[in-house]
Amino acid sequence: MAAEAISRALRDGALEGEHAPALTIKDSIHAPLGAFVFDHILAQLSSNISSSKSQAQLRIVDCYTDPLGWKSQLAESGIVSNRSTQNATTASLCKNARDLDMLFSSIVELGKEVIRETKGRFAVAIDSVSEILRHASISSAASLLSNLRSHDQVACLFWLFHSDLHEMKASSALEYISSMVACVEPISNTTNGKGMNSENLPLIEQNLGRGKFSVRFKRRNGRIRLMSEELHTEQMGINFVPAFEDYVTSQSLVPKVQFSLQLSEKERNDRAKVVLPFEHQGDGKPIQIYDGRRSVSESKTENKETNAEKMHVNEDSGRGEIIYIRDSDDEMPDSDEDPDDDLDI
Amino acid sequence: MAANKPRTSSFSRNVAVAPTSQVPGLKHGPNGTVFLSSGIADLDKILGGGFCLGSLVIIMEDPEAPHHMLLLRNFMSQGLVHKQPLFYASPAKEPRGFLGTLPNPVSSKDDKSRERDTEQEKNLRIAWQYKKYFEDQNLDSQKDGKVEYCNDFDLRRPLDRHALSGQCIDCVSLQDSPNLATLYDRCSTFLAQIPRFDGNITSAGRISIQSFSAPQCHFSEKEWDMLSFIRSLKSLVRSSNAVAVMTFPPTLVSPTVLKRWQHLADTLLSVRAVPDEDKDLAKLLTGYQDMLGLLNVHKVARINTQVPVILEATTYSMKLHKRRSLVLECLNQAPVDGSSGTSYATSGSCSVSSKTGALDF
Repeated sequence: MAAEAISRALRDGALEGEHAPALTIKDSIHAPLGAFVFDHILAQLSSNISSSKSQAQLRIVDCYTDPLGWKSQLAESGIVSNRSTQNATTASLCKNARDLDMLFSSIVELGKEVIRETKGRFAVAIDSVSEILRHASISSAASLLSNLRSHDQVACLFWLFHSDLHEMKASSALEYISSMVACVEPISNTTNGKGMNSENLPLIEQNLGRGKFSVRFKRRNGRIRLMSEELHTEQMGINFVPAFEDYVTSQSLVPKVQFSLQLSEKERNDRAKVVLPFEHQGDGKPIQIYDGRRSVSESKTENKETNAEKMHVNEDSGRGEIIYIRDSDDEMPDSDEDPDDDLDI
Repeated sequence: MAANKPRTSSFSRNVAVAPTSQVPGLKHGPNGTVFLSSGIADLDKILGGGFCLGSLVIIMEDPEAPHHMLLLRNFMSQGLVHKQPLFYASPAKEPRGFLGTLPNPVSSKDDKSRERDTEQEKNLRIAWQYKKYFEDQNLDSQKDGKVEYCNDFDLRRPLDRHALSGQCIDCVSLQDSPNLATLYDRCSTFLAQIPRFDGNITSAGRISIQSFSAPQCHFSEKEWDMLSFIRSLKSLVRSSNAVAVMTFPPTLVSPTVLKRWQHLADTLLSVRAVPDEDKDLAKLLTGYQDMLGLLNVHKVARINTQVPVILEATTYSMKLHKRRSLVLECLNQAPVDGSSGTSYATSGSCSVSSKTGALDF
């Protein structure tokens, strides 16, 4: 459900005057399945594109092979001979990953090549913003992404990000820029710092195969939509499965109060068993109006009230009764005095 | 100044009748302060008249929702309607584009339906001792002459061209200034343009800075520079006839800097997003369907006085009245555990997420 919603949002693109939808895929070492999600979404997007238009063309900007231009420098100075002959690359090599302005223009150039005649828009997928952040500052990476988002010809944009490689600030900056945030988290929270104990291994193994996939959508009406499901890795990619109830973090929204608003199981049973005071009228027994005095002969449980306002519904085995303990025994029950006599007007 | 007031009771408060301001869009308040409208009538009422001239208003954004833009739009439109000079800075490359999204004041045709509602309410019998409280409401709804202090803005319709042309509007992109010195210079030249005469105030200016610490801005990592800019801006604004409104996303700055930032504000507001299709929230809050988001008032500016403002309620829901104008409604506060009170609480949110727990009212 969540994954389909993401694909739909990316395929639909942006409305007139809006920024392009941008997705952040976030994972961490405890659930390193981000790359699978990335591939899945890329595949979905290209199949969506293929089904509507001609074929999906892929252009690659390769910032991985030689990001700082060292290899080419060494090759020029003759120290290292370039053994591997570059095959016909559809990839344009980026030799200076620090210059994000140049990266931006090369992305836009390649994109324009793709859409040449069709006058459409192109989608941008960034395999790892974590890689970009190795060479550039957060603000320049954020600036690159937001410029891509606001570019007229960019239809949609998504990127992968490993949250534990960076500071919180980078993570929040990327979430600020994106319109959808997909988090891959471990199903069972392994306690950090335990490391590779033998007890922990099966858990870690489990986290390599399954994960919790939760998505936050920033909708156009200004509200946030939360979706959550489970993902399993299989031989042919990954599979999304709707989550069980306990995986959805449904924290109680009932605010913390100084008195308990809910009844426990036992209390609920007791309440059901209570015989109300006037229910047994006409049974033949003498009618007794209960006036709260302890002298009424029934066994009472020793139950101290912490809050004078509360009225407990207690039970002693089998008989349901309302036991009312007065605040103060000094009070004369039902005195004949009229309290209004004290007033003199 | 104190006119012949008919005495209604033996005890009369010593409130000097404020001189009616001759400048449209400005209102005199207590303690020698002058207010200008925020563009939202409900917000003016909550803040005791509007934004105080010389104050710095800071709005903390919610990174997941654009509600701060609504507040900024109303603020800027109100300034343009009153022909007050405007300075706008944003992280976008083309900040002038935002001016196209400013709302237009509601036309007089629509106002007639509202007048009919108030007349019907007058037929309601009000107990005699409460009548004096209702008198204040009637005064606010009177129009003084042609220009209203606070206009009702229709968010669906863009501002008329004639309101934008011939106006002193200065737009700056925050991406242009790598350090904040250039931005500071632009602000001070803008404020120098607003004529200042001794005694009477003839016009007021508005400064709006959107998403100040957005990650695209190159100075966003220099937190102390940003704080020092805010302090200088505050001193600039304090000695001029202007109001500065600044919005920023609090999650993008470190906690100590955030605290200092909050203390620098004269008026501090925050907006929060609401999760969509949340059944628990729908049960807990009335009017959940129409709600856009939540607005919290943390601090209200008090100039020339030591007496703080204690608000009855600090959380309001933002809704669209008749789908066009922004209204603020008070939320019924749920009983909260008293020990969990925090000042300027920004972490409390209504989202069902693993980050937060109880609702923070």
